[in-house]
Amino acid sequence: MVRKFSAALVALAAASGVALAQVPAGYPADYAQVVAAAKKEGKVVVYSALDTKAAQPLIRDFNALYPDVKVEYNDMNSTEMYNRFIAEQASGQGGADVMWSSAMDLQVKLVDEGHAMPYASPESKAIPQWANYKSEAYGTTYEPAVIVYNKRLVTGDQIPTDHASLAKILAANPEKYKGKVTTYDIEKSGVGFMFVVQDYKDFPQMDGLVKAFGETSYKVYSSTGNMLEKTSSGEHLLGYNVLGSYALARAKKDPGLGVVMPKDYTLVLSRVIFIGKGAKQPNAAKLWVDYVLSKRGQKVIGDDCQLYSMRDDVEGENTAAALKKKYGGNLKPIPVTGEITQYLDPQKRLAFLAHWKQALHAK
Amino acid sequence: MARAPATETLPRALTILATAAAVFGPLSLIAYQSFLNAPFFDKNATAGLDAYRFVFADSDFWQAFKNSFLIAAGMTIIAVPLGGMLAFVMERTDLKGRGWIEPLLLVPSFVSPMVLSFGYVVAAGPVGFYTVWARELLGGAPWGIYTVLGMTVIAGLTHVPNVYVYASAALKNLGSDVEEAARVAGASPFRVAANVSLPLILPSLLFSGVLVFFLGFELFGLPLVLGDPEGILVLSTYLYKLTNKLGTPSYHLMAAVAVCIVGITFPLVLLQRVLLKGSRKYASIKGKAGRLRELPLGPWSWVAYGLIFAWIFTAVVVPVSGIALRSFVTNWGEGVNLSEVLTLDNFRQVWGEPTLVRAIWNTVLVGVVGGLLTVICYTAIGFATHRRNDGWSRFVDYLVLVPRAIPGLLVGLAFLWLFLFVKPLTPLRSTLFSVWIAYSVVWLAYGMRLISSSLLQVSPELEEAARSVGASRGRVSRDVTLPLIRYGLLGSWLLVFMIFEREYSTAVYLLAPGTEVIGAQLVSLWQGGAIDMVASLSLVNIVLVAVGLGIALRFGVRLRD
Repeated sequence: MVRKFSAALVALAAASGVALAQVPAGYPADYAQVVAAAKKEGKVVVYSALDTKAAQPLIRDFNALYPDVKVEYNDMNSTEMYNRFIAEQASGQGGADVMWSSAMDLQVKLVDEGHAMPYASPESKAIPQWANYKSEAYGTTYEPAVIVYNKRLVTGDQIPTDHASLAKILAANPEKYKGKVTTYDIEKSGVGFMFVVQDYKDFPQMDGLVKAFGETSYKVYSSTGNMLEKTSSGEHLLGYNVLGSYALARAKKDPGLGVVMPKDYTLVLSRVIFIGKGAKQPNAAKLWVDYVLSKRGQKVIGDDCQLYSMRDDVEGENTAAALKKKYGGNLKPIPVTGEITQYLDPQKRLAFLAHWKQALHAK
Repeated sequence: MARAPATETLPRALTILATAAAVFGPLSLIAYQSFLNAPFFDKNATAGLDAYRFVFADSDFWQAFKNSFLIAAGMTIIAVPLGGMLAFVMERTDLKGRGWIEPLLLVPSFVSPMVLSFGYVVAAGPVGFYTVWARELLGGAPWGIYTVLGMTVIAGLTHVPNVYVYASAALKNLGSDVEEAARVAGASPFRVAANVSLPLILPSLLFSGVLVFFLGFELFGLPLVLGDPEGILVLSTYLYKLTNKLGTPSYHLMAAVAVCIVGITFPLVLLQRVLLKGSRKYASIKGKAGRLRELPLGPWSWVAYGLIFAWIFTAVVVPVSGIALRSFVTNWGEGVNLSEVLTLDNFRQVWGEPTLVRAIWNTVLVGVVGGLLTVICYTAIGFATHRRNDGWSRFVDYLVLVPRAIPGLLVGLAFLWLFLFVKPLTPLRSTLFSVWIAYSVVWLAYGMRLISSSLLQVSPELEEAARSVGASRGRVSRDVTLPLIRYGLLGSWLLVFMIFEREYSTAVYLLAPGTEVIGAQLVSLWQGGAIDMVASLSLVNIVLVAVGLGIALRFGVRLRD
């Protein structure tokens, strides 16, 4: 597959060599100025919650397209990203040209507080409505929240198929799952918190599931990687609300890890991207954002980064189209809207956390 | 005392001033932040005590406080006697094989605690390699590492090197005549250690004990990896949890917790001062120190070997073999046949990643060059207070202990703020300088203690002799004191190198292109879940430091002859 990819790269590079200074198909003619200005800027600084390793194919392909624009890619967790970005904005120094994070709520909050540079991407037409926030921020991926299990130790009817069956399995086998269930620590992980908020909207018996977690004395982590590692090793047996993009990528290499898309509904997270206000390299930033949203960039996101591409017109295994074909209307993308920031209000958030704790220890 | 000329007082004043600025810059920012109800750069921030009110009303805080105290006390009780004994055996006896044992003793202190903890999870967790083997061979694995006790024991054992390095540096400078006297009177080697040698180096032991206690309050990686999933909080992980508990970073709450931590550790500093009031009586390099003679251990050597290897096995072999094994497999755990999952991909990925390769280089640079610069700075501070019993010396003594009391994560954040908002500093933000200064401040107490322990052991009459023949203060420092403490300084460089290699939390917020270091990259990779790379990069880190340590030790051995 790697060879196929590099062959494609060579072909693309050859093709783009000619079209370099030209405008991508369907873009306005004055885009040539953006490209030229970006070339002069010479680099784009990206802050991202996606680790460098996973983003590498995207960076390489971007460089094949725009060899004169260096990508300074900084991966960090979404909270750090937010911290650094607001500090940099307040100091007026600038740092990030592009913010790209899975903490959708924090991203939207930054946009709402005026930290984004409005930018109507030429790609907007091809982007679903739910993924376009005021032409300032865009959803870029289509990553399902899944259930993972240890294939060696969880088999047959022990494998949950949806939210209700998960609750039932846990309730019926308290001994087997004691200390063996894991999910996000919602006090620490913004993504985990967001998933649970959505769960309460979509799954009426959520309190029951939370109670089942409490009864198995579930274990919590702040990142998907840890949950995958420990579920694969057998320290835990089931992981709930794990990021499907990471889980499926790992499941391909790791025969011990099974992945379930809940049948009743599967939440979908979309990494949100925007250009920082006062970006030092605004044109290069535009190129990066347009590229990530473009059909070509989305194809790389799906095929090589093993995230799921969000555009409906991109084909392949890891795409929204493929997921929709398989799971139909049960996919629930979390829309990029102002509504998702409501729990960033401290009082509301603490109240929600208190409810969660109460549900955990319900009799 | 005669009034000193300006050429002598000016460098001293500048040194003290610079140190104070480096310490109080970030600290005052943190203190100021704790009395606001929003980030200090937020226009809507107003003053108030809301942060403290929230923290003190939170039951999690009190739970975390209790756990921190238990762990810190427990690990001090474990680390100090063990570290002192090891130092005695290594420095004062004829035990064979010391040359190759010593590097092993230092291993736990150069592995990032984050990684060490991960090593324990893989090796001794519920389905770890050793746990599964123990279950097969013995029918049970009677340890639980995900408990307060488990963490205390691991923290205690892995902090033994901190005590060991201080104690052995002090023992090196100790004449052996008193030990021989005890030996002639019929004392066993361990009796000599407990009743003669170790009491003689009490200042070093006390310092290291207090520091281990400090470190206990600052433990982060270990409770994060081992305790968090179980809901066991300590102060630093509680603070970390506050980063996100309210959805957006709650700097004011974090700062309030940091201030509380300083409030706990400051009385310790006072206690330490009292304990060291009579430090003169410990002066042990006398004008006519005899040649060092090694104590024959005889049959006791087996006890020593047993002690050393049991400790090395638990604190080094178990976690490091865990990480090593993990770095060569794709997956692991209950029911996995390891021979089927072997791979070298994890390393290929690291080498194929320019930022990680750069991180490796930067880490070496910060450790070797930065470490040397740091020791030079620390020595300058040491000389600024050496043999001066005035108010400034006392001020510096308190000053250097302060930053160690604040979690590195927050010091790093405070330095990021400084580099962002103090205009003359801003061009330095994306250079390794930012990481170096943050590291130097965070580890100030740690390094200073080693240097002042060495300084304390230089008997004043040697310096007074030089003074009486007309040498200036600077000349005495250069030609008498400095050569006498060179082992201590070399030890400090080594120590500083090691801790700079392993440091992880301080650089997290300073991570930017150009400032990548392995520690911060590990945290970042861990967060992203790239555990394959965490394992292989850790192994690279261990190997790297082992090579560096080997070179340093060779150098040290040659000097000792």
